[in-house]
Amino acid sequence: MHTNQILKEVNNIFIDVLDQEDIVLMRNSTADDVEDWDSLTNMRLIVAIEKHFNIKFTTSEIQKFRNVGEMCDSIIEKKK
Amino acid sequence: MLFNSLQYLIFFVTVTITYFLISHRYRWVFLLIASYYFYMCWEIQYVLLIIASTISAYIAGIYIEKVQKSLFKKGILVLTLLFNAGILFVFKYYNFFNEAFSIVLYKFNILYEAPTLKLLLPIGISFYTFQVISYLIDVYRGDKEAERHFGLFAVFLAFFPKLVAGPIERAKNLLPQLHEKHEFDYKGVTDGLKLIAWGLFKKMVIADRLAVYVNQIYNNPGEYATLPIMLATVFFTYQVYCDFSGYSDIAIGSAQVLGFRLMNNFDRPYSSKSISEFWRRWHISLSTWLNDYIYTPILIRARNWGQAAIICSVSVTFLICGLWHGANWTFLIWGLLHGLMLSLEVVTKKSRKRIKKIVPKEIYDNISMLFTFSFICFAHIFFRANSVEDAVKIINIIFSFDFTNLNLSVAALSQADFFIAFLSLAILEGVQLIQSRVHIRQYIAKRGLMYRWSLYVVFVSYILFFGKAGSEFIYFQF
Repeated sequence: MHTNQILKEVNNIFIDVLDQEDIVLMRNSTADDVEDWDSLTNMRLIVAIEKHFNIKFTTSEIQKFRNVGEMCDSIIEKKK
Repeated sequence: MLFNSLQYLIFFVTVTITYFLISHRYRWVFLLIASYYFYMCWEIQYVLLIIASTISAYIAGIYIEKVQKSLFKKGILVLTLLFNAGILFVFKYYNFFNEAFSIVLYKFNILYEAPTLKLLLPIGISFYTFQVISYLIDVYRGDKEAERHFGLFAVFLAFFPKLVAGPIERAKNLLPQLHEKHEFDYKGVTDGLKLIAWGLFKKMVIADRLAVYVNQIYNNPGEYATLPIMLATVFFTYQVYCDFSGYSDIAIGSAQVLGFRLMNNFDRPYSSKSISEFWRRWHISLSTWLNDYIYTPILIRARNWGQAAIICSVSVTFLICGLWHGANWTFLIWGLLHGLMLSLEVVTKKSRKRIKKIVPKEIYDNISMLFTFSFICFAHIFFRANSVEDAVKIINIIFSFDFTNLNLSVAALSQADFFIAFLSLAILEGVQLIQSRVHIRQYIAKRGLMYRWSLYVVFVSYILFFGKAGSEFIYFQF
């Protein structure tokens, strides 16, 4: 799967979970860039992403994500 | 030796001068000796405990990194964590849990009488043990390389400014700084000294003065009516802030003079508009530790439980937070109260967002601040009360709204002291208000010589004249 496609789908998940229509994610987006993206909503986002792509992140992977891009890369890896 | 003592002044000046005179190669030796000397001024034999922790963590860190098999990695981690947490548990919690255990068994009609241990709590143990735990987990996760230099690692744990009551430092922040060569930096020295002075002001002028009032009332709650008890509770809230943040300021300022940057521990916590915000501003080194090593790991593993996941991780985290402060039911309740409020905030987030859209921002923010501050004060009743019974008594008196006796005065605190207390609190709040907009130390540094030195002389005189010297800091007991 192509990274831009993944980013688009992740973006839609963010819009849905955080209930904000104006979210535009980029590969280097972090929690500082998005309102309401905190440690709590982070878990809801992760769960939604895992469900949508039918994958499972490990605990250490989740702890290491530094931005949206790294999360997308991990999704691509798992969908190979 | 206490930060607010002549002994520390002499010690600190001597250490600083010597530190910059020695070559960088031997500085760690000097810092280590100075730090252990500092520690042994409290208790000589307990220095063996911190040495044991240092050796175990140093060896474990290297092997966790070296070993390839994940089972061995985890094994070394778990064993070393158990060893260090075990020492903390025995010295701090054994009696508490022993008693709790026997109470539970008694309910089942089993008589359990294990002997209690008569152990003194080694000073600083809660702080440096948490530092060890964070180091080991960071190495295990691959977030930090294991430290190979034993001397530097020992200083990392024992560094005297933060040894006794934090901040709880991270390896990522402090270890690299220990490797660097520090030049004498005039600005660092002056900024550090200003911070130390500010900390001494908070501790000696405000905290110790308010403590007189608080102690009189909280040690005999039954004898007082609603108003003095409410005042004592608010006073305590300021006392504990000034005491602990004052200590942190002296610690951070001392380190700054030596050229080290320790992490910030407080950020105007009582201006918080929610308890979630409060924990980003209060005892930051502890709250970030709890977040990184307890809260987030639990939340990640429980992420599929929905709302229950958050309730679970928040409860466990604040249980630990409460207990960390002391082996007492009062601290446990204090922690759980905060956990409860935090959970409530999470659950009501959407409805509060809706209210926020309707109500004008100024009104919403001020009411939030007032409500948050009131809750903090309320929870502090348990933090300060000598027992759960006392806390309940105090709450009953407050909510009895017994305003028949409006006499606020207390034998131990004179009218003059009251005045100084309020004046100093006004100075505190004024400075913090300015702090939110201006970097004060930089502002002062830019002023002329006359301005700066008049300010220094007035301020230091104020501390010397109105400060009470030589009293312990509250957080030493943790």
